Amino acid sequence: MNLTEFITANNVNLNNCDREQIHLPGSIQPHGVLFVLSEPDLQVEQVSNNTEIFLGISPDSLLGQNLAILFDDEQIGKIQNCLNGDFENINPLKLFANFGGLSIELDGIIHRSDRGKIILEIERTDHPEDRSFFGFHKLTKSTLTKMQKAANLRELCRVIVAEIRQITGFDRVMAYQFDADGAGTVIAEDKPDEWETYLGLRYPDSDIPKQAKHLYTLNWLRLIPDVDYQPVPIVCHTQDGDNSPLDLSFSVLRSVSPIHIKYLKNMGVGASMSISIIKNRKLWGLIACHHQKTKYIPYSIRTACEFLGQVMSLEIAGKEDYEDLDYKIRIKSMQSQLIDAVSQSEDFTDVLLENSTSLLAAVGAEGAAICRDKEIIRIGKTPEIVQIQDLLAWLPERFERDLFVTDCLPKIYPKSENFQAVGSGLLALAISKIRQKYILWFRSEQIQLVDWAGNPNKTNRIESDGSLTIFPRKSFEKWQETVYGKSLPWQPWEIDGALDLRSAIVGIVMRKADELAAVNLELQRSNSELDAFAYIASHDLKEPLRGIHNYATFLLEDYGNILDAEGTEKLGTMVRLTKRMEDLINALLHFSRLGRQELNMAYIDLNNLVQIVADLLRISSDNNHFLIQIPQKLPMVQGDRILIEEVFTNLITNALKYNRHLQKIISNAGRMPTPQEFLEMSNESPEKLVEVGFLDNHPPNVKNFMENSPNQFWTIYVRDNGIGIREKHLDSIFRIFKRLHSPGKYGGGTGAGLTIVKKIVERHGGTIWVESNYGEGSTFYFTLPK
Amino acid sequence: MILVVEDSDEDFTALERVLKQSLCKAPIHRVRDGDEAIDYLYRQGPYANAEQAPRPSIILMDLNLPGTDGRDVIQQIKHDYTLKIIPVVVLTSSSNPKDVRDCYQNGTNSYMLKPMGLEQLKFTITDFLHYWLELAIIPDSSINQK
Repeated sequence: MNLTEFITANNVNLNNCDREQIHLPGSIQPHGVLFVLSEPDLQVEQVSNNTEIFLGISPDSLLGQNLAILFDDEQIGKIQNCLNGDFENINPLKLFANFGGLSIELDGIIHRSDRGKIILEIERTDHPEDRSFFGFHKLTKSTLTKMQKAANLRELCRVIVAEIRQITGFDRVMAYQFDADGAGTVIAEDKPDEWETYLGLRYPDSDIPKQAKHLYTLNWLRLIPDVDYQPVPIVCHTQDGDNSPLDLSFSVLRSVSPIHIKYLKNMGVGASMSISIIKNRKLWGLIACHHQKTKYIPYSIRTACEFLGQVMSLEIAGKEDYEDLDYKIRIKSMQSQLIDAVSQSEDFTDVLLENSTSLLAAVGAEGAAICRDKEIIRIGKTPEIVQIQDLLAWLPERFERDLFVTDCLPKIYPKSENFQAVGSGLLALAISKIRQKYILWFRSEQIQLVDWAGNPNKTNRIESDGSLTIFPRKSFEKWQETVYGKSLPWQPWEIDGALDLRSAIVGIVMRKADELAAVNLELQRSNSELDAFAYIASHDLKEPLRGIHNYATFLLEDYGNILDAEGTEKLGTMVRLTKRMEDLINALLHFSRLGRQELNMAYIDLNNLVQIVADLLRISSDNNHFLIQIPQKLPMVQGDRILIEEVFTNLITNALKYNRHLQKIISNAGRMPTPQEFLEMSNESPEKLVEVGFLDNHPPNVKNFMENSPNQFWTIYVRDNGIGIREKHLDSIFRIFKRLHSPGKYGGGTGAGLTIVKKIVERHGGTIWVESNYGEGSTFYFTLPK
Repeated sequence: MILVVEDSDEDFTALERVLKQSLCKAPIHRVRDGDEAIDYLYRQGPYANAEQAPRPSIILMDLNLPGTDGRDVIQQIKHDYTLKIIPVVVLTSSSNPKDVRDCYQNGTNSYMLKPMGLEQLKFTITDFLHYWLELAIIPDSSINQK
């Protein structure tokens, strides 16, 4: 004979207490006997080591024997029927053990273990008269009636604790409800009047480890008649190879975790019983019974209690659904109204803004923010725009199925501590993450006083090896905690409403997307038509123009000698005008192509590019005497090389063209001047100067353009010592065909150059602007992607 | 012999003038639209008499033509076994990249833009004549004449 391995963790700590194998204690409580039987011959393979006291027969005499050693054929038949699933004889079985001439009446409870062994537990019957169906009926009938009459959940709980106390005779019976964090709160209590109340006290999640909660869902009832009991080991034959501990998950006698025993003792409890309340297969709460002294509850009464617990479980679902019914109906109608309005709208944001009151009421929020693209519109009490922007940067990763809900935002997003008064609770819907469309609802902070049963934070100790040792609390006296940074919890029906709203909005977005696709298709068609039109128009316009030009030239060539000077000059003007018109047509065509042309993006070395542009200008233009300064090495940019070259050609040409300085060769040797020196130099020097450089920091006005990506762009500038631009013209110079000077001055131009430059910069995602001092020079700034 | 397909009288006048000044000896025949060009090349309609329509050694063609478009004429020439050896040079004011691509795809031998101004036109035509009539070796039109 050999003791089976004990798994009662002697050294349970916080690191492993959630893994403590409390279903494998290897021992039982002493108020009954446990047999492990083989099937089908019902031979005793293991037995608890207390048969001597209980039945007057040693475990050794039982091990290896057939169960017939204790029971006659009739009793064995009952057990076998039970195994066959004959529910007329379901637990508890009324059994009579016959041994040594004695006949002992017993309650038998039978189940199969996970490894197919039969486990039979027996307890003494104390109240044979209550065994009958009528006894059971008597115990439960009046309780059921009272439960049904209970108007709400609170009352239901009050009824059940009073009735259970009545039936069992425990000193104190309480109903616990678990919250989302797993902490339990006493919501009903029945006790002697003079005793201190536990009502409203909260017990932390860690008081009942996860696996204990799991066992509560497997067994509806758990009894510990005496916290001072000595565990009774389960024994088996030495020769039996199977030494692995027995799974006692479904055993009613299963031994109790030493930590729980300690806990109960610290609480001053001598005996306890708990009945599970299960809603939607989850542990909703417990009916906990405490007694100062030892207390044994016979199986028949326990069955009645278990039955009441099951009825309670069914009742709470209904009672909870009816709770706050008025509020639920009101909120539901708000939600439907809002969804109706949204479904019929073209733009959901407008509708939500028009119905801002419903928007808040639909989920019971105090504030909301509608976010579309970069815009944030706030309704009611919300954090500041900047705070919402920060929140939106953090939020997208947190969505689960486009939903994020919390009633304690500061706990998971510390930055929200700055606005926890208005935003401790957050319900966020992602309509479109790509388009950055979100709806956020905020709930304000509800400072709560929580009455803990003793300080929940002082139960553990950190050991030298870093592990945490759990110590059941010694004091269960009321310990008040003020909880900040929490809002009222979001109720399931509020969240459901938000999700319904999202579906309605997504419906609109989908419809919009369809419409947009159709519009796009139409746009594509009209675009290519427009494109073709631009070519044909330019072609057909050019033909007569060419005719006019050529014929004027013919006249000049053929009849020049018989025309007077005025006539010749007029023909000359005609030729010049046709040339100019052709330039305009070409510029227009070029401009119209720019919008559609695909960019051949590449990395461009601006130093090299500016050099090429300068060389070309020196060769081709009259402005061949000028100085181009590059104060510091220019960066690499991304862009279409041909187009970027055009930008620089245009800007530098302009810089040289609108410039009255002399064109004198000055050597480019020596050190580069600073901008200040440049200005002084340009004042003193008679030479045309162009400086090409870039800014280390974007000026503040640029950041607005690129708030998302200020670091992905360079700000390049082209500065000249030219004639400058009057401030009133600064805005208009980028307009197509807008010219500031008559064609005769400064060599003329089509007036499309800067418009084309602007378009090119914009096609690259950049922006362009100009600063100028009239008479001193201008600086064109533009941004290009890094 | 150069076949000029050109609908614009003014453009043709300018072309003719430049050709004369360039002292070009090559005979020119002008047709005004695509249909006429096809009639000429296939010796049909008004050109039924082969004597009237000697096969050109090169075709100088405008693209945007009344009736059958220049693009279609090119396609027809370049799909005809006997005609496709005649070099076709496009002279047009369309700078549309699509036109350029399509023309070459259909076998056009050269693509030139009508310039603005007589001087530029002179350069263009002189280069054209110099290249196609002096430098380039093109199939002898007489061999192909039936």
